Amino acid sequence: MPADIALPRVAAAKSRHGAVGDFIFRHLTFLFALFVLLILGGVIVALISGSLPALRTFGVSFLYTDVWNPVTEKFGALAPIYGTLVTSAIAMLVGIPVAFGVAVFITEICPLWLKRPLATMIELLAAIPSIIYGIWGLFVFAPFIQAYIEPAIIDTFGQLPGIGALFAGPPLGIGVLTAGFILSIMVLPFISSIMRDVFETVPAILKESAYALGSTRGEVVWRIVLPFTRIGVVGAIMLGLGRALGETMAVTFVIGNAHRISASILQPGTTISASLANEFTEAVGDLYLSSLVALGLLLFVISFVVLAIAKIMLLQLQKQAGG
Amino acid sequence: MPPAASNSPATASEPAPRQKVLIRNVDFYYGTFKALKNVTMPLHDKRVTAFIGPSGCGKSTLLRVLNRIYELYPGQRATGEVIVDDENILTPGLDLNLLRARIGMVFQKPTPFPMSIYDNIAFGIRLYENLPHHELDDRVESALRRAALWDEVKDKLRQSGLGLSGGQQQRLCIARAVAVQPEILLLDEPASALDPISTQRIEELIAELKVDYCIAIVTHNMQQAARTSDYTAFMYLGELIEFDETERIFTHPKQKHTEDYITGRFG
Amino acid sequence: MDRYGRRRIANGVVTTLSVAATAFGLLWLILVLWTLLWNGVAAITPALFSQMTPPPGSAGGLLNAIFGSVVMTLTATLIGTPTGILAGTFLAEYSRGNRFGEVVRFINDILLSAPSIIVGLFVYEIMVIRMGHFSAWAGAVALAIIVIPVVVRTTEDMLNLVPDALREAASALGSPKWKVIVMVSYRAAIQGIVTGVMLAVARIAGETAPLLFTALNNQFWSTNMNAPMANLPVVIFQFAMSPYSDWQELAWGGALLITITVLFLNIGARALASLGTFKQ
Repeated sequence: MPADIALPRVAAAKSRHGAVGDFIFRHLTFLFALFVLLILGGVIVALISGSLPALRTFGVSFLYTDVWNPVTEKFGALAPIYGTLVTSAIAMLVGIPVAFGVAVFITEICPLWLKRPLATMIELLAAIPSIIYGIWGLFVFAPFIQAYIEPAIIDTFGQLPGIGALFAGPPLGIGVLTAGFILSIMVLPFISSIMRDVFETVPAILKESAYALGSTRGEVVWRIVLPFTRIGVVGAIMLGLGRALGETMAVTFVIGNAHRISASILQPGTTISASLANEFTEAVGDLYLSSLVALGLLLFVISFVVLAIAKIMLLQLQKQAGG
Repeated sequence: MPPAASNSPATASEPAPRQKVLIRNVDFYYGTFKALKNVTMPLHDKRVTAFIGPSGCGKSTLLRVLNRIYELYPGQRATGEVIVDDENILTPGLDLNLLRARIGMVFQKPTPFPMSIYDNIAFGIRLYENLPHHELDDRVESALRRAALWDEVKDKLRQSGLGLSGGQQQRLCIARAVAVQPEILLLDEPASALDPISTQRIEELIAELKVDYCIAIVTHNMQQAARTSDYTAFMYLGELIEFDETERIFTHPKQKHTEDYITGRFG
Repeated sequence: MDRYGRRRIANGVVTTLSVAATAFGLLWLILVLWTLLWNGVAAITPALFSQMTPPPGSAGGLLNAIFGSVVMTLTATLIGTPTGILAGTFLAEYSRGNRFGEVVRFINDILLSAPSIIVGLFVYEIMVIRMGHFSAWAGAVALAIIVIPVVVRTTEDMLNLVPDALREAASALGSPKWKVIVMVSYRAAIQGIVTGVMLAVARIAGETAPLLFTALNNQFWSTNMNAPMANLPVVIFQFAMSPYSDWQELAWGGALLITITVLFLNIGARALASLGTFKQ
């Protein structure tokens, strides 16, 4: 065959080329993959080194002291931590059931032609940047809450003995409750979309068997889909929580930025990210700056743990579904 | 028009078949699972050898040993010898890319690359040869003619290969494989994903191609094996049960197992 | 009431609640977009695109902020996209099931959802402090760090969708592995990868927190990457929180601009993605 003679010589040259190319490409991609790890490592190192002065000065008491005085240089993270946890809790309380309802509707109830557009619209909620929610919250939502909702709450729940303290105080519009509620709107598309993915992993045969026995839709969801996807649902919730904890701009606009803990959720407060956003560029003094970085470290650790748990749970569900 | 070839390996006008490949004592492992057990058999040049057998018998595995495509996956390995002309191609350290340029493969499902028909054919050629434009055009055209596809695509060479029908895509893959002028062609159930008419055209193609190449074809369709091949190897659970001229295997099989399979007692 | 009647009611409750929840979610989407349009459209004038951010109490535009956002977004995309694609390629093509790949994937997903203000803090520590000043470069790097995990994820997912048979076919012709990846796998996955990049750009287009202490802000027109640079999100932050109505109106205008860009990119990315599925 004529090519026999030509092929080996030419081919040999190009083939060595191939080996060099393979070596370079493989190591190039490896380096960039390593880089991803280095970013995380860098974040951890940078945050720790930046917060060392504050941690050394205040020690563990930083976590449970409620003081924030740039003048006397006494800082304690309790108020931001409290605000972060409470706003996230409100976000979860409202967001989880709604996200669940949306996920059930889209996967089980909605007609086929509506699925894609509806799913897209819900996902657009997630695409809207945080600052948009912030500006909307400040100028539209908060005044509305102040004028109609909060007075109603104060007049009803606020009058009850005991838990009435939770709903006390003048209606300001801005505050922990408003921030928590806007957060819930922001996290519900994330939770809902993962729940949807998770629900779709339920084999159709399983659901069909249940329907064939005469189950209603609600029963199939409650008795078949949910138990099958239990771990994934928890994973979805954890992911939403991770997002809620770190949300910055929307919260900053409507939480009122008061470094204090109030019993009432109608009052202003602050979160870790809101404190950072508001104060970082104006912080003077090494200890002040370092305390803020320490807040950042705290937030990072909390988010990391929550997100890692979420990821592990979702991986487990993947294994269960994929076999 | 296919040449008037009988399925008998040696006729008065043709030379006696020459051994192109000798598979000798080949074992194959997927991890710890032994999928091929001590397989020894020849492949003859300018002839078609069919590998038949029930699912899981190792026929595709054996085919894939011949161009060491299994090396793409960790945990898969072969021991023994596969001697092509005078070289054992299972030698470690052999340049696999060069090897695969000499041995072409066509897969079960058509796999056109996401590029134009022209670029599909030229892909393999460009890997190893720096041809001037018109020579490349000629090579592409001749490959497409060999695959009986030229007339259908000559006006749309710049269009995507994905736009062709299933049967056309498979002929594209065949053209792509012969474009690099290999010595051996490996066909892994090339027609099993195609409709009967396309299947027939592929079989006609094989009859034409065997004039120039040593062809090994895996097929689960016994009639196809009987129609297209000169030699047949019947495999079962990783072992070569019987190897013989096709006509003899299908009329007077020596092993009872072979006979049971051919007559459909199991499959 | 018999048992079946109760079950039917329970089912009706589930259905009603789900519909209500979906309507609830959609309600907020419509509300937010509507008020955005309502308040922002008044600010969309030619002046918005031709004048700089004004001092409080006077009229002006957002040109320097728009420019800064475009420049930093573009730079971040240029830095983050090749990085993300190469890292994603490693995960999909060179690390099938090995430990290192699993760790990278895990860490990448955490970075994906990490609070963006932490990214800003990180870049502040390693760039702003080092350089002694805020800069657009720092802002671009912070945005790039947000782009990278998104692109890594989509690249890996898209490359994993490319059937192995295609890779085998290229290898069977004698192609070295890197050519198989670059000339076949990438081509097969290109649509999905581009979609991923578009979604990443949509994400950073509206990000404020990472820019707060990296690029900061700049009242004036600046093309100096080595100095603070104006950008839409931080300008909106500053103007919206202020008591000046001129500023607030500009803030709405900027918010509308960002939202239109983000929605456009998002919907465009989805349209691009669905094109591919029809061809298959």
